[in-house]
Amino acid sequence: MIPIDAIVALGCAVFAIGLIGVLVRKNVMVVLMSLELLLNGVNILLIGFGLHLQSAVGQIFVLFVIMMAVAEAAVGFALILAYCRHRETYHLDEINDLKG
Amino acid sequence: MIPQLVFGFFAALTVLCSLLMILQRDPMHCVLYLAFTVLAIAGVFFTLQADFVGAIQLLVYAGGIVVLYLFVVIIINLSQLQAERRKFFPTLFLVAVPLLGLAELGYLLFARGFRHAPEGPAAVTLPRLAAELLTTYLIPFEVSSILLLAVLIGAIIIARREVGRDPH
Repeated sequence: MIPIDAIVALGCAVFAIGLIGVLVRKNVMVVLMSLELLLNGVNILLIGFGLHLQSAVGQIFVLFVIMMAVAEAAVGFALILAYCRHRETYHLDEINDLKG
Repeated sequence: MIPQLVFGFFAALTVLCSLLMILQRDPMHCVLYLAFTVLAIAGVFFTLQADFVGAIQLLVYAGGIVVLYLFVVIIINLSQLQAERRKFFPTLFLVAVPLLGLAELGYLLFARGFRHAPEGPAAVTLPRLAAELLTTYLIPFEVSSILLLAVLIGAIIIARREVGRDPH
């Protein structure tokens, strides 16, 4: 039996690393990849608590989170491709068309 | 003893690869480390007795999303890739905020400790998962299929070139 403390520590660590990536990196692609790390950290936590409480709900929620990650990745890439086609930049600091 | 060792191996691999992923300069290397991370997390799921979710993680994440990232990195023109520069103190602040949040969360969680797991038949079997998914959670399940259809159509419409203005 794997201790729940280790699972929670792993999930929180992956989430924190993903958050650092989202905040620090400037390349749009790498920021989207770090968002996947955030979702994966939450997935680890859900699976761990589902195992700990012997409930199927954790795994079901993980299925929905993965489905949502697919939707987010597809729409995010479509937006990036459409934007970068006429601006030719992938640097988040230069994407400021809407700046007031 | 063996499950703990396997879990420790996959956990160390997950943390190491995700750290390397956010430290790479080249987005292609980032994608490769993301693939490693996702595969290691699938290993974590297998050691946590979540076979079905581990298989879905392998199929959908490693086989779908990571390959999508790979193709987009290939498609977009990265030749004018410029080095990411940020001043020292903003970087320190942006790294310190998640780490402090993690420290606070860890303190709040581990100071109290967790309830002991109830004894009994441990693993959530696939029939139980399927029964729960298709009875209690049937409406979210169907709504998610509608969401995926909308995403499919929306992504095609957003990403296509303007017809007529751009001949190729």
